[in-house]
Amino acid sequence: MKLVYADNNATTQVAPEVLDAMLPFFKDQYFNPSSMYESARPVAATVAAARAEIARHLGGVDPKEILFTSCATESNNTALQGVVAANPQRRHVVTTAVEHPAVLEVCKHLQRSGCEVTFLPVDGDGNLDMGEFIRALRSDTLLVSIMHANNETGVVFPVEQLARITKETDPQIVFHTDATQSLGKLPIDLTGGFAGVDLLSFSGHKLHAPKGVGALFIRRGTPCRPFMIGGHQEDGRRAGTENVALIVGMARAVALAAERHDEDTAHIGRLRDRLETVLVEKIPYVQINGQKAPRLPNTSNLSCHYIEGEGILFELSSAGICASSGSACTSGSLEPSHVLLALKVPFTAVHGSIRFSLSRYSTEEDIDRIIEVFPQIVQRLRHASPYWDSARNEPRGDVDTLFRPKHHK
Amino acid sequence: MAWDYSEKTKQLFMDAVHGKPGTHLGEIEEPDGLGEHGSMACGDAMRFTFRVERHPTDPTQDVITDARYLTFGCTSAIAASEALCALIEQGRYTPIEALKIKNQDIVDYLEGLPNQKIHCSVMGAEALEAAVFNWAQRRGVDLQKLGVDIHPDEKEEGRVVCKCFSLTEPYLRRKIKELNLKTIPEITNAVKAGGACMSCHHVPGGLQDLLNDIWGAHLMQLPVLPNFAMQTDANAPAATQTKEPAPGLSPYQFNKKVDKVIEEYIRPQLQKDGGNIEIVDIKDTLVYCRLSGTCAGCETAAQRLKLIIEEPLKEQIDERIRLILV
Repeated sequence: MKLVYADNNATTQVAPEVLDAMLPFFKDQYFNPSSMYESARPVAATVAAARAEIARHLGGVDPKEILFTSCATESNNTALQGVVAANPQRRHVVTTAVEHPAVLEVCKHLQRSGCEVTFLPVDGDGNLDMGEFIRALRSDTLLVSIMHANNETGVVFPVEQLARITKETDPQIVFHTDATQSLGKLPIDLTGGFAGVDLLSFSGHKLHAPKGVGALFIRRGTPCRPFMIGGHQEDGRRAGTENVALIVGMARAVALAAERHDEDTAHIGRLRDRLETVLVEKIPYVQINGQKAPRLPNTSNLSCHYIEGEGILFELSSAGICASSGSACTSGSLEPSHVLLALKVPFTAVHGSIRFSLSRYSTEEDIDRIIEVFPQIVQRLRHASPYWDSARNEPRGDVDTLFRPKHHK
Repeated sequence: MAWDYSEKTKQLFMDAVHGKPGTHLGEIEEPDGLGEHGSMACGDAMRFTFRVERHPTDPTQDVITDARYLTFGCTSAIAASEALCALIEQGRYTPIEALKIKNQDIVDYLEGLPNQKIHCSVMGAEALEAAVFNWAQRRGVDLQKLGVDIHPDEKEEGRVVCKCFSLTEPYLRRKIKELNLKTIPEITNAVKAGGACMSCHHVPGGLQDLLNDIWGAHLMQLPVLPNFAMQTDANAPAATQTKEPAPGLSPYQFNKKVDKVIEEYIRPQLQKDGGNIEIVDIKDTLVYCRLSGTCAGCETAAQRLKLIIEEPLKEQIDERIRLILV
């Protein structure tokens, strides 16, 4: 059975070109780039070249503004905690309710350590309310952290606009964006449209580089204390020996994504749209979360009413299809995805969400396979559901009151 | 997080949803007993129905012949429902006998369930109970007279402890006792209470208060000693067996007391043998000491001596005291 990998927002396969670029640094080019002898010099030069390559693809920023980290989570922690540590006079942070935990939980941590945090809600389509955003900016606002594209729904926030508004309101406010899902998929020009962005996080493994490497763009002059200390690397802003091979891999992956951007976007978007069109046609009572908002071309988050996502995933997995779900049973908590709850997905559907996320390696056959298998799985699980009338193939008439607890919010 | 379901659980789920003959997915029309548990908003729900072979004169002798379920939930919720029906049909139980099937029987039938999925088996047992109560009503059987606990106090709306899953105090109290739940994570795994917003964990009247009330407050006391102190000697009583930690001593009072015991009991004894003791530092209940005189420099003698010195400190001040030789 051929594996259908449709979970590229979780991680991606390493591109062959990326692997080739990395291999020398696992073999004879093992030197520490900080070492003084001649053999280490090319290694240091490679790291510098990788930095310059990434800087170029982010709109031609100064390579010194790129900091290599171990993952996007580290980049986010560095950005948020570093900015707060460097600015003791301001204590207010603005973020959204749908951030990745690597931002959301850090914000909650900042809240516990004395900051005031505003969590902006989103509407049913996943969009922010601009008025609400503007009202959230205060004279003591220190930091705004708003993600570029959402990992669960693919909904894209207008970061260019948000950053510009922030800077025009008060140039002292630091603007951070988590671009982990968008880098390589959407154009990011930090000297153009994204000029108001001070800090930008991403990782390698979402764009066909390996896990274990990330980066943080810190615009020159942004007050931000180092998070990892204990070495002179990265100009003392992030201690720790450079992960040379992975840095090289990430730079190659960023370049590759830029080279292939138009082709990949068209290919992935076509596959995703076909997937959604057919599934909506074949499955009754299915909704596409975030469909009306601007979205990443590769992400499809579907909610199937009256069934639970974990069972769907299990059956998909048995059929060789990898996807993910925002249901409570897969979240590690007993609560369904905070993103879908923020979108106010109805309670009949919030547990039955499935995310398919594609990549340049996704094929027409992958989509065929999902289209063949998925509607049957939904049908079978609905057949097992007490909320579904199998004879009439529709929800039971009393579905809104059935079992519903009296006290539920 | 990958699935760590047993093969049996996976097989039951697949067999059930693929409608393999002998599985129990479905609903009995005009059933003799119907029970529901859970809700869609909470992430799992089950409708359980059974049919009995009616006894001509004595309804308590009815025998359950068929059991069916409809379940909204994850893989293990469906597998647990399947297991429940299989257990019931295999046993040819009367409805009252069927009440003896507990969630643990379902877990055993499934050859184990991950901890965080225990609530799936509890849901099965609850739906069964509700169905049996429903049968009793239909057949005019007075369960209470037969000595079955029908939780009359839960009929009235109790105080809601866990708002996310709408669980009331009387229900939680019964479940904590019935399933022998000792910690908040155990409660969450079994009945989901406290698993979402978590605000009911440590508030007055919350889950920890219920646990303290039912099992006594001693569960709250965790051993406070750092691990490395435990390695010093195997014979010392474990920190959890402490009698009563020095009640209400401030660090100053504690240090003073250690000083006093050493001055009055320990130093005179050591001096008799030409030795001496010096306190280097005290951190919580760790007493760092330097020995001098005849015993200094001899590791074996020092370690033996350590036990002798430690004893009066433990007896007179605090069971948790550990002496660390410097």
